[in-house]
Amino acid sequence: MRILFVMDQRVDRGSIQSMSSYVRAGDEVGYEIALYGRTDPRFPTIRFSRDVGAFDYVVFLVESCRNWMSALRMPRIFAEVPRCRRAIVDADGMYNQIVSTDNYDRNYQWEHIRAEWLAHYRIVADKIFQPTFTPREPGVRKVLFYGYDPAQQMPPEASPGKAYDILCVGHNWWRWRQISRELLPAIERVRSQLGAIAFNGSWWDTIPAGAAELGLESAFGTDPEWLRRLRIQVKPSVSYTEVINVMSTGRINIMTQRPLFRELKILTSKYFEIFSADTTPLVMIDPDHAELVYGPAGRELALCNGIGEKLVDVLSCPKKYRDIVEEVRRHLLAHHTYCNRVQELVAALQE
Amino acid sequence: MKLLFVSKLNRFARAINTIAKYVEAGKALGHEIAVFGDQSPEFPSVPYSVDVKRFDFAIFVIYETQDFPDLPYLAQLLDGMPKERRVIIDCTGRFNETIQVEHDFNHLEKMDNHMGWEWIDGFDAVAKTILQPTLTPLRADARGFLFHGFDPAAVERRYDTAEQAARSWAGKTAEPKQYGMVYVGNNWQRWSQMRSLLKAIEPIKQSVGPICLTGWAWDYRPDWAAELGVEGIDTDAAMLQQMGVELNGNVSFDQVVAFVSRARFCPVIHRPLFNHLGIVTNRTFETFCSDTIPLLMLPNQMIESIYGPAARLLAVGEDVAGHIQDILRRPEAYWDAILKTRAYLADHHSFQRRFQELSAIFDK
Repeated sequence: MRILFVMDQRVDRGSIQSMSSYVRAGDEVGYEIALYGRTDPRFPTIRFSRDVGAFDYVVFLVESCRNWMSALRMPRIFAEVPRCRRAIVDADGMYNQIVSTDNYDRNYQWEHIRAEWLAHYRIVADKIFQPTFTPREPGVRKVLFYGYDPAQQMPPEASPGKAYDILCVGHNWWRWRQISRELLPAIERVRSQLGAIAFNGSWWDTIPAGAAELGLESAFGTDPEWLRRLRIQVKPSVSYTEVINVMSTGRINIMTQRPLFRELKILTSKYFEIFSADTTPLVMIDPDHAELVYGPAGRELALCNGIGEKLVDVLSCPKKYRDIVEEVRRHLLAHHTYCNRVQELVAALQE
Repeated sequence: MKLLFVSKLNRFARAINTIAKYVEAGKALGHEIAVFGDQSPEFPSVPYSVDVKRFDFAIFVIYETQDFPDLPYLAQLLDGMPKERRVIIDCTGRFNETIQVEHDFNHLEKMDNHMGWEWIDGFDAVAKTILQPTLTPLRADARGFLFHGFDPAAVERRYDTAEQAARSWAGKTAEPKQYGMVYVGNNWQRWSQMRSLLKAIEPIKQSVGPICLTGWAWDYRPDWAAELGVEGIDTDAAMLQQMGVELNGNVSFDQVVAFVSRARFCPVIHRPLFNHLGIVTNRTFETFCSDTIPLLMLPNQMIESIYGPAARLLAVGEDVAGHIQDILRRPEAYWDAILKTRAYLADHHSFQRRFQELSAIFDK
């Protein structure tokens, strides 16, 4: 079987890492998987193809924008692949009722925008998949989609030196409320016991141009002065080809998720990618959800109460946490590899 | 003919004036013209329709990806009109390999996330016929069709003789003009030329009179351009202020001819990419409707091939100040050139002529 993904690929954000893993895992289990487009040196690990008609299925990976599914791109795909062989992975939970968490994060602000999205989806595909254990809408199929790629695992002996005690690799997109209410106050309390800290990613110290016009200012809340006071370095985002390496320079890596995703229990690439790095991942999700994804050991890595104490504990007891992380990796190998994911996707497409 | 235009209309930009002229001229010639979509209250004189099957051809007028309708509408359009009867007018030379001229590009991946090959594949998928508003398309599978045109009925003030025109223009038989020079248009890939023009005018600005630039981003470089590293939207607020240049917002398409008529001079500037590809715009023709002296800042070959031989005199050339001073000394000669050029444009580039050309293209 041949599967062609179509997405808005960015070198330093979104689901690009998973594409790389799908291509590799597909080869391993006997499916040819490619991404729509032309070979691009920025994406050295990804197979590209424009030969739309040569694929059995086309899968659109949709995040929180859809303008990339433009009229320039779509007619060719529509003409060559019938709707019954097209599917959408609804990565950001757009195929839902309006969900607003604490009047802060939301999938839509207005009902008419939601109606436009859904009308768009209906034209694009007749199968909608969501990377969550519990889709809410009838007709949506659970396809966890993201997974763990053992081929990416950074072995300790190859790992770069530890330059940071704490790293947070990701973009400040609907993260600030959790960071400012939970993480930063905790860091402030134990700052003297912590070494270097860095946030790698976009918008930690600036709000992008146009955010206010689009009504998205709150998605990029930040307080550069507070970050400076806490001696938190802000570093630029990194390419997906470098992200495991960069994460491995931190003793601890913290994963945050946007409130909407926590509410909908949506998985992302980061859930698994962070376990490929030579680091102790701490995930800012509730312990039950951590256990659901990572197995029982995952509870220990959920960062929700006693955050400051947990950070200090991880730094002072590395062996204890290394064992926990290894146990989680064994769980991921058993349940969440990309080879599993490819098989699950194929089954869902063939239903 | 029954023609359905497909484009995103904006009263301050792109093809709105040209499409409005097709509606007007089409009605007079017995054609039926509409724009695809639900009737827009903003453009009551432009009929809209979603009844695709009622039309002979769908003409996509494309500047940006947003000119294509959103998906449910697009699907309706593609289902209702066979590809053989879909035509794209590629207004900005997208249907070419990637071309860079100075800071100007025909593909702006940073801004619209589409690579060059996608424009070619995409256009090929949508339409059988690709037209470009140039006399010299680069690709064998694109055809030249200037699309924009000249409407003699829109000329702001008519004159029987050049002498009469020159006297009126000089304020001897009409109100003196409010401005020395105006430019109506957005600052997108125009600054390098505008800057040279203003610099050249600076020593004689007293004799030119007040200068006004209208449109978007003349006053500052937008943050997003800096963030994306997109060049070609530069400006120099200090220089404009020091020269006393008045900056105003956008002028609605139906006010442009009258507004430009308030100035003695109006430059005709095309983007560097358009100069390279020989692409014309609405303003190429519309400026000749205003009661002003156009300062043609275009390649000589283009001036002659589009405007005819009389327009040679209106070419600014290297010595901008000398050219303007010569106009001020002997405006009659220049008005003679303008009147002859208007007649040439009426003969060769009227909207009636455009309909004949389109008809010939469709017949083939």
